[in-house]
Amino acid sequence: MKELNELIETCKNYAFDLNFTKAKEWKEAKKDRVLVGYMPIYFPREIIHAAGGMPVGIFGGGDNKQIIKGDAYYQSYICHIPRSIMEIALDKHMEHIDGFIFPSICDVIRNLSGVFKQQKIGKFVKYMDFPQNFLPEIGGVFYQQEMEHVLKYIKEINGKTPSTDELNHSISLYNRNRSLIEFIYKIRQEFPWRLSIEDVYNIVRAGTVIPVEEHNSILEEICEHIKENIGMPQDKIKVVVSGAFCEQPSLGLIRAIEEAGCYVVDDDYMLGSRMILGDIDASSNNPLEAIAHAYINQSQYSSSIYDVHNPKENRLAKIVKDRGADGVIFASASFCDPSLLDAPIFQNAFDKMGIRYIAFQYSENINQYKVIKEQVGTFSDSIKLWEDDTTVLA
Amino acid sequence: MTNPIYTMGIDVGGSYVKGVIMKYDDATGDHKIVDKQTEKIRKRDPKDVVVDAVEMLLERNQLDYKDIAYLASTGEGEMVIRKTGHFYSMTTHARGGKFFNPEAKTVVDMGGLYVRAIKVDEKGKVMDYKMTGQCASGSGQFIENISRYLGLAIEEVGPMSLKADNPEVPSGICAVLAETDVINLVSKGLSTPNIVKGINLSIAGRVVKLLGSLKAESPIALVGGMGMNTGMIQAVEELSREKKKVDLVFTSNPDAIYSGAVGAALWGGYRYYKLKEKEAAVVA
Repeated sequence: MKELNELIETCKNYAFDLNFTKAKEWKEAKKDRVLVGYMPIYFPREIIHAAGGMPVGIFGGGDNKQIIKGDAYYQSYICHIPRSIMEIALDKHMEHIDGFIFPSICDVIRNLSGVFKQQKIGKFVKYMDFPQNFLPEIGGVFYQQEMEHVLKYIKEINGKTPSTDELNHSISLYNRNRSLIEFIYKIRQEFPWRLSIEDVYNIVRAGTVIPVEEHNSILEEICEHIKENIGMPQDKIKVVVSGAFCEQPSLGLIRAIEEAGCYVVDDDYMLGSRMILGDIDASSNNPLEAIAHAYINQSQYSSSIYDVHNPKENRLAKIVKDRGADGVIFASASFCDPSLLDAPIFQNAFDKMGIRYIAFQYSENINQYKVIKEQVGTFSDSIKLWEDDTTVLA
Repeated sequence: MTNPIYTMGIDVGGSYVKGVIMKYDDATGDHKIVDKQTEKIRKRDPKDVVVDAVEMLLERNQLDYKDIAYLASTGEGEMVIRKTGHFYSMTTHARGGKFFNPEAKTVVDMGGLYVRAIKVDEKGKVMDYKMTGQCASGSGQFIENISRYLGLAIEEVGPMSLKADNPEVPSGICAVLAETDVINLVSKGLSTPNIVKGINLSIAGRVVKLLGSLKAESPIALVGGMGMNTGMIQAVEELSREKKKVDLVFTSNPDAIYSGAVGAALWGGYRYYKLKEKEAAVVA
């Protein structure tokens, strides 16, 4: 078994490889392999895997990519992620990726799919709508059709239609992947000092750009390591970070939150990799229906889901309670409409529920964290020292 | 561990690492500084400087890490690897100011990189604050640079400033211009005390503005590295009388540079007992 540090370093290198080298190597190793890039938040990666492809998460360049050309495509009041994705594309880092999926999240991502089409980037570009109707016979059927549409695009490249067994096999691999990730979060809930949230982020993000089989092996080894009583506990508050599901905060920012006095026990940084809660049925005669069923009945709350019968504020409050968190940090990318429009809904509800929170905005390329550290540090101190406001100076 | 306990506070600033060991007596509230240590960072890795400071303190007091009930960091806390917990620097300087002057209603932290005025309640809770922007000419680092140009040790700046009879305030708002100004003042033959007092008055002007915008109340505890500069205290008093037409009462302490470390150690002691209480409640 490899050392934990070695595994984390490997994941970090994969996660921030803007050339997607691992995916390229995987594709070149065998004929007819297909790479399909997907943007945040969520995409059912199982179907790409079953069709002989590898899904490749495209989450922007963070603070590793200087934007020169990308800015020409977007106005100053648009978030940062489409600029860095454009920069990566125009610098030809994604030449080996065959097609691109743009899951519906906001107008910016929708327009980005248009720019990709216009620039003829990739063999296909699919803007993928997700159901907002949660009746299986309506939303479920619609979602299956969307997945079939994606499979059609892949078939046009490699001539392959996945069998039921292949789909079920892929579903079971991703079930395993999610359960291992959830194991890590469960350990962190109780022993957050065993693995920092920065490490968790690197580990989960790596899984979006390497084959799922390899990621599962890495996760299994990491889980073995963190079962042991490692690390040194510190006196920190526990928080849930919400709102950072699309444009990703830089590693420095993810680190800064924990350095300022918090343990992040849940987050939505890489929400897509954890979107489905629990397993998808891997023995169905209709695997696409099983995936759709899981999305409708077992998905996390998200800013891209509008389910009036299942208010997201209650779902976030449940996560806070289940994880034993002391409060919530709303971290929204600047100009991120879905996150910024949701924040007041959460905050109004949390005022009534008595859940403590703070909110700030970031951009994927910021590397000055002083103000954010001040805000988070004050939040942490206010909970540690003034929780019940009975503090008396002896 | 029995009462009293030992706690340690480590304040990692821009120029110095400050550390204290305190005896924290939860029963009587009679907390004492047992020992203190300042280390200039220079070009060393701050993590190594912290280890040096901590180990020096432990060794001198024949203590071990396990004897410290709570090792608290403040400032750049990530440089303190073996900490129990971290507190934000405003929280700790407010607490440190209250330790040095329990009557203080305002604490002014005058550190190496900025000045921050903090309103505190009777419990040491931060109620409001104002701080200077990131500008070198309002900072302790600026005083250090000037003292070096003038061939003074940093400890000499305060007493030298008290000897001034006709100070001249540098005209530049920017540190770079002010430093050029100081060179001109030297060329003009202005005496060192008058130059130093002029510098102190220039920084004091910013402090008084902060206090005005904060609607600060007396007594005001001056803490941080510049809080030990007697010339600065005099300059702040003079200017506040002149500009605000009020007699604000300023207090300082020879250990003012340790305010962050002291505050961290004290909050560490508080948290130690709070966590014990929580543990006991869970067991019960």
